Amino acid sequence: MFKIKNATGGYGKTVIIRNVTLEVKAGEIVALLGRNGVGKSTVMRYATGLIPAMEGSVEIDGQPAPDASAKRAQMGLGYVPQGRYVFPRMTVTENIAVAAASNGHDHKAAVAEAMKNFPLLVSKANDLAGGLSGGQQQVLALARALAIQPKILLLDEPTEGVQPSIIDEIAGILKRINKERGISILVAEQDLDFCLSIAERAYVMEKGSIRLETDRDSLRNDKALQQELLGV
Amino acid sequence: MELDYLATVLLSSLASASILLIATIGLAVVFGLMGVINLAHGEFLMIGAYAALTTTKLGIPYILSIPVAVLITMAIGAVVEILVIRRLYGRIFDTMLATWGISMAFLQLAVLIFGTVTPGIGMPQYNFQIGDYSLAGYPILMIGVAALMMAFVYFLMTKTVYGMKARASIQEPEMARAIGIQSARVNTMTFAIGCGLAGFAGAVLLPIVPATPSMGSVFVIKAFLTVVVAGPVTLTGSALAAIGLGGGASVTASFLTSVAGDAFFFLITATLLWLYPLGISAKWRWKM
Repeated sequence: MFKIKNATGGYGKTVIIRNVTLEVKAGEIVALLGRNGVGKSTVMRYATGLIPAMEGSVEIDGQPAPDASAKRAQMGLGYVPQGRYVFPRMTVTENIAVAAASNGHDHKAAVAEAMKNFPLLVSKANDLAGGLSGGQQQVLALARALAIQPKILLLDEPTEGVQPSIIDEIAGILKRINKERGISILVAEQDLDFCLSIAERAYVMEKGSIRLETDRDSLRNDKALQQELLGV
Repeated sequence: MELDYLATVLLSSLASASILLIATIGLAVVFGLMGVINLAHGEFLMIGAYAALTTTKLGIPYILSIPVAVLITMAIGAVVEILVIRRLYGRIFDTMLATWGISMAFLQLAVLIFGTVTPGIGMPQYNFQIGDYSLAGYPILMIGVAALMMAFVYFLMTKTVYGMKARASIQEPEMARAIGIQSARVNTMTFAIGCGLAGFAGAVLLPIVPATPSMGSVFVIKAFLTVVVAGPVTLTGSALAAIGLGGGASVTASFLTSVAGDAFFFLITATLLWLYPLGISAKWRWKM
């Protein structure tokens, strides 16, 4: 469904990730774990095409991904970046509408759907996104990514700076869209509990490479591994 | 001081501010939505003026020559964006240098085609009286034109899908691409619209500012400073800056001299930029 093969990339001439290979199968939720600075965000940016590939390739829905980020989005790659990056001087409604319209979807229907899925945005619909709280912006960034009707959703640290009640809500939403709409999800996280609550499988990164692949149960039971790789 | 004199000064100053605003909006759109300082903006204004002039000479009514001028400048703008500007995004000094070069080329081209002196167009002059004073009607009409232009740009940028894409692309360029906005196309459109607005300005101001190859330089410095003072909330910021700076300069000029008016303009600009280095609207939470 979604594959990153032998990804090597970074910024300018500096290599941050080396030979990263991972796969998310149809309908699967997979976690990408690792401490701060191991290259999780760089893998995400590599996958979206926001940083150029030095080597390696990306496959979306069985097709090789084109270079341009916009085309990858149109193939069904949704992205919620670390730090959310909502469009600050656009309203909540516009943030969602522009994502839908840019991919040829009816923007009014997309907004209506998002308001149904994320009731906490309803009262903020006409507020500028820059004025929302961190948690609200996170939910908006997720709603915006879903408005492109993705097949695979990439989430970069969705729990960072978000209050616990909203974290639970986000976990619930992710599980629901995964089940109801069959959207595959790759989530980069440091919050192990959040990952264990949604993902069946995980890759653990260390120093820019994938150190190992594991499933939920082995990770949950292996306290030594948790301590060594994640510092938890 | 008589009330009618005061009213005359206020009206004509508001008209001057409106003329500055009309000449500025295109630049504001391009700078505000693309982060590109188009130093050839004044030359697009000049092209618009000549396009309207030439069309009128062909016997087409003046009012219809305005859309012709807009279409011509939009087309030239699109070509300039595709050939030059798109290679230079994010390199603000390089774009300034390139657009300055383009401005010189257009200026010389205009000299070659039209010569340095051009007859104005015979517009019916109509005046109206306020008390003892008589005011030319056309400049006062520009207050309405400026308001309509603002309304048009506001509608285009806030109510259309293109406008949303353009604003998203400047606010978070990477995220805009990551959600599927093809920013290259949006940018070509934005630059063309900015140039079209300059062309509109050149055409609509033709009865007041006759077409000459160097007419652009009259506007471009003040227009540029207005946009820089305005800051990120482009449209409202530019309107306020144009009214404050252009109107203030005009009021000063009517009571003192035109040199004092210009001195006022540049002093207030310098002060505002010292107080608000990112523009007066840097902290406003508004859309446009």
